[in-house]
Amino acid sequence: MATLTADRKPALRKELEGLLGRGAVLSDPDELMVYESDGLTLFRALADFVVFPSSVEHVSAVVKLANREDLPFVARGAGTGLSGGCLPAEGGIVISLMRMNHVLEVDYDNQFAVVEPGLVNLHLSWKVGPEGYYYAPDPSSQQACTLGGNIANNSGGPHTLKYGVTTNHVLGLEVVMPDGEIVWLGGKTRDSQGYDLVGVFVGSEGTFGIATKIVVRILKKPQAVKTVLAVFDEIDHASAAVSAIIARGLVPAAVEMIDQLTIGAVEDAFGCGYPRDAAAVLLVELDGLAVGMETQVERIEAACRESGAREVRTAKDEAERQLLWKGRKSAFGAYGRVSPAYMVMDGVIPRTKLPYVLRRVNEIVDAYGLRVGNVFHAGDGNLHPNILYDPRTPGEEARVVAAGAEIMKVCADVGGSISGEHGIGLEKADFMPFIFSAADLELMQRLKHAFNPDGRCNPGKVFPTRKTCGEAGPVAYRPHAIEEQGLAQRF
Amino acid sequence: MQAAVLEKLRGIVGAPHVLTGVELSPYVVEGRTPEAAAFPGSLDEVRRVVTLAAESDLPIVPWGGGTAAAIGTPAPRAGLVLGLRRLDRILEHEPGDLTATVEAGRTMADLQSSLRERGQWLSLDPPDADRATVGGVLATNASGPRRHLYGTMRDHLIGLTVVTGEGTVVHGGGKVVKNVAGYDLPKLFVGSCGTLGVIVEVTVKLRPVVDDERLVAIPFERLKDAGAAVRTVMGSDLIPNAIELLDAEALRALGLMGAPAAMVIGFDGVAEQVAWQIQELGRLVQGAGGEPRPVSSDIWPRLGPAAAEAFAAPAAVMRLCVLPTQVGEVMEQGSATARARGLASAWSGHAGVGVVTGALAAGGERPAVTGVVDVLRDWRGIARACAGYAVLDSAPLAVKEAVGVWDDAGAAGRIMLRIKRELDPKNVLNPGRFVGSM
Repeated sequence: MATLTADRKPALRKELEGLLGRGAVLSDPDELMVYESDGLTLFRALADFVVFPSSVEHVSAVVKLANREDLPFVARGAGTGLSGGCLPAEGGIVISLMRMNHVLEVDYDNQFAVVEPGLVNLHLSWKVGPEGYYYAPDPSSQQACTLGGNIANNSGGPHTLKYGVTTNHVLGLEVVMPDGEIVWLGGKTRDSQGYDLVGVFVGSEGTFGIATKIVVRILKKPQAVKTVLAVFDEIDHASAAVSAIIARGLVPAAVEMIDQLTIGAVEDAFGCGYPRDAAAVLLVELDGLAVGMETQVERIEAACRESGAREVRTAKDEAERQLLWKGRKSAFGAYGRVSPAYMVMDGVIPRTKLPYVLRRVNEIVDAYGLRVGNVFHAGDGNLHPNILYDPRTPGEEARVVAAGAEIMKVCADVGGSISGEHGIGLEKADFMPFIFSAADLELMQRLKHAFNPDGRCNPGKVFPTRKTCGEAGPVAYRPHAIEEQGLAQRF
Repeated sequence: MQAAVLEKLRGIVGAPHVLTGVELSPYVVEGRTPEAAAFPGSLDEVRRVVTLAAESDLPIVPWGGGTAAAIGTPAPRAGLVLGLRRLDRILEHEPGDLTATVEAGRTMADLQSSLRERGQWLSLDPPDADRATVGGVLATNASGPRRHLYGTMRDHLIGLTVVTGEGTVVHGGGKVVKNVAGYDLPKLFVGSCGTLGVIVEVTVKLRPVVDDERLVAIPFERLKDAGAAVRTVMGSDLIPNAIELLDAEALRALGLMGAPAAMVIGFDGVAEQVAWQIQELGRLVQGAGGEPRPVSSDIWPRLGPAAAEAFAAPAAVMRLCVLPTQVGEVMEQGSATARARGLASAWSGHAGVGVVTGALAAGGERPAVTGVVDVLRDWRGIARACAGYAVLDSAPLAVKEAVGVWDDAGAAGRIMLRIKRELDPKNVLNPGRFVGSM
């Protein structure tokens, strides 16, 4: 791919402004810095341009221009990603979809909505809420992250245990292909014929094209919701309770675990009512019909007690329920109370391996002289060990990265995966061989080639590039430009 | 087939597992007899058979239980049937993980009965479960009435092992229920009709078996009224696991009731939930239709194919994918267009998800091909007018050729073709059978 020369840049800026209008193109290095990373600030790169299209025709025109100039391009939503997936290549064009944030159509009878990619996840639930509907996938960043970004990463969230991840809720996509062609994949009907192009596009981390319209399913809000808090003095007992709940034939909407270190941070920050002396708490949510709910809550409580819970209580009212969830959803932000920085891991393991893997995570982090907080989707075995560290201490960041690699290896060795919902991006690209053979990766490359033959669309992501993992050295931590200005914290 | 190739084939899988000549009669599709059938006993044997076939320019037809053998356009050359019936083991089932890894040749019924012994099930109920294999269900994206609540194979599949047309063993996905590492290769194989790889091992998510499950039927005077009732149910607090709409012919085939139309609806959960929902259903549809009546659970496996079973030998069966609210209307229109051309039809459908099946009667004397073709074209037109599409599930070859099995896939079809060329460059796997004559 070409590198843009300084004397060519003003002409291209002018052309982009002609396509998109004034105020829709950034090229000043100060402005570009805001877009040099996503939620993972370990990696940074500067684009030549950041553009703000407001229609599919705009996106297509920009992509065609990028092709003509042989420049790389990458789509970007809210930039809350945690794997460097929407990082620009050095140079090229960042296509921000934040102006394409409309709900275009809602069909309540057929239970779908057509939205633009820049729409914030939670805003869709707000839109359809008054009619008794909601959008099920609920990543912790749902107040900020966009549906386009969710499509790229196949995002999850606590309630995916019962309702599935993003891919289970997407029916159709209007896509600007990497050559600029506008194509519909799937549609509004539940089935579509031929290969499941929607299925492979979701989770392709922005390397197959740019979604410009998204058809998602909306669900009826459940009649009743109950949230149970179970308190454990031993983390192994909490892990055992997860299996016990499943063994009783229950499918809760969510089963979340929060460990002692995290409880301390959350209680400091919000006072959610988690007991500080507990080794771990489980947050178990049931939803569905009001009838029969008590029977199921009793089964959950019994499963927790028999696994050794010292206390089990059910939120009395919606206010208490919201408070319990606030602790869970805000845990990442609360780590700021106990550590200047942290790195979040995203491994997945078979549920029955939970006790073993949690022990190994603690041993590994201990061995590196670091601390770890765990807050995660225990019900589907999606771990989030958060390794705490101080970026100002020389060498500490390198130890974090090394410990993270070991944790991913443990997840892989027990038959798990290196990412459950955050994506591979740049961060984990070199760890793909932990779980995929050369032949597996080759087939993925061919699939990519079918969508993105020239490789200009989000280059450098997903696939391993460096020869060995040891060579993977992220740049030293620097606060993001907007953090420096006090406009945001990392979460 | 060259004798040398046949010899090599026998060398790989063992002579008793290679069929030729008259032994091939079960594998004749649309009057075409394959050149041989081979039944490998391991992943490695599959790999070697595919490699041999690819080297010998022999097209491969992956074969599970043969229940979907008539799907698609037959390949110009019948080639080699690669049967997976010997690969039928459950490789892993850890109940605490709610996952299982199974070989592709195991039948759905055998898988379900093993899982059920340990209190779990794969939440998928395609027809012909005693013959349909897990790999075949995956490859054809087959499903049944319970897809209303539980979804289709794409919602349960978390990993697979395939042999590509070049004889390479590839794993996609994994064994954990949540996984975004790399591209979602398993999705690519769902409904791919054996055109991208031979599916050998499959890993799926499971659910605990339900405490209680019941089916009820409500008769209606008109399909349109039944369709309106579906809308009422979908907008309510009820959580049915199936909502089927059936016309008089389909009802007759099931021996359910004599009514112009009926909604058959299923509920599961703890006993008190099932009971409450049936009661609430009665209240919701009061006045619109008759009283909900209990239906024997034996009827479950026959609900999906009800329309197709209405006639001893239907002239054609077509599947129309539309929006849920359009189902009643589509059935009425479809029925009327057939009648207008002098043919009887039967209709059933997964009303809550908008998948409708129309079957065309062969008539007293065999109707002219042109009459059948005209009706099927009308039906496809109805689906398209609903912004949907229609696929010809079964019909004589002449009808298939005239109507086209698959609907127009538009610009997406070009991407599919590119994928096929990337993944199966020698076009060894089920050539010509799929969308866009891939």
